[in-house]
Amino acid sequence: MAHIHLGEGSFPLWALALWTALGTVLISTVVYRVRKGGIETHQIALAGIAAAASFAIFQLNIPVWGGIHMNLTGLVGILAGPLLGALIALVVNIFSAALGHGAVGLLGANTLVNASEAIVAYYAFRTLVRMDWDIFPASASAATLGLSAGAILMGAVIVISGVNGSALPRADLTVAVAGLVGLNLGVAVIEGILTGFVVQFLVSVRPGLVGLGDRYSREGSSGVTA
Amino acid sequence: MDRWKQYGGLVGLLVVCFGAGSWGFTSTGGALPWAKRSAQTLQRGVQEGGGTLIDFGRGIVVAGPIRKGGMMLEYTALVVIFALVGIGLYVYADRYHGLDEQERAAK
Repeated sequence: MAHIHLGEGSFPLWALALWTALGTVLISTVVYRVRKGGIETHQIALAGIAAAASFAIFQLNIPVWGGIHMNLTGLVGILAGPLLGALIALVVNIFSAALGHGAVGLLGANTLVNASEAIVAYYAFRTLVRMDWDIFPASASAATLGLSAGAILMGAVIVISGVNGSALPRADLTVAVAGLVGLNLGVAVIEGILTGFVVQFLVSVRPGLVGLGDRYSREGSSGVTA
Repeated sequence: MDRWKQYGGLVGLLVVCFGAGSWGFTSTGGALPWAKRSAQTLQRGVQEGGGTLIDFGRGIVVAGPIRKGGMMLEYTALVVIFALVGIGLYVYADRYHGLDEQERAAK
């Protein structure tokens, strides 16, 4: 659920320019790779549904850890892949900012944070599945790792940028941000377990949706069940 | 890989994250909504606080900027549009995939 929840003007101009430039480079690379490599039709459908789910849940504040929101980017990454996952992160952040949830100036930084969650979750899931992990522990661990990576990146972005109007010295700001990152790791526990259940259910009904059709047809033909 | 190793790894990861979450919760003001916690912590630094980890009495609420900004209608409309587009794409992909398989089988 990592999200830099600060108003316009909270970051110095150079930081806004830096994160926006890095976000632009990331999205440009993703678009280039999508255009070059193409995407499978079922991934487009999944991306549409994942974007809807991510946007809807992103705006809901749930009464855990004092009141937090989730964004399901770990699930998005596992289902839609790293490329579409990054694009979904951009879309969700644009629509959220349009509704006032998150500053427009922080779109680049927030896209970097959320895209990193989807990308790390995807590669962690694929690695664990290749190591022959069951679906639930693989997807729950991957989502938790992805969200943790996003939380740490969020903290790094804030510490590097500094916050306008904050009188805290850099060392105190780092400790304060570490507390926020820690809370995000706690949220990753909830989102990770939820992602595990969702992916396990999807694999049980349509393994092809998660790109595991081969694994299940192989197991089915050899008489082994998941 | 052995199942106990898989679940052991998962539980270990979750315990570490939960520990970090508990420390973050108390050191950033306790039971506060994320926006308030974030603004307060970044302006004033760490401040110990407590409260319940789960507060069902608070319920699930739409994010403050949307609720207080009177944009509930826009939010609902966007969610409905996104959901319809997603379902439409899913139906399209399902049919397209089916046609693809038929063509392959015919060849």
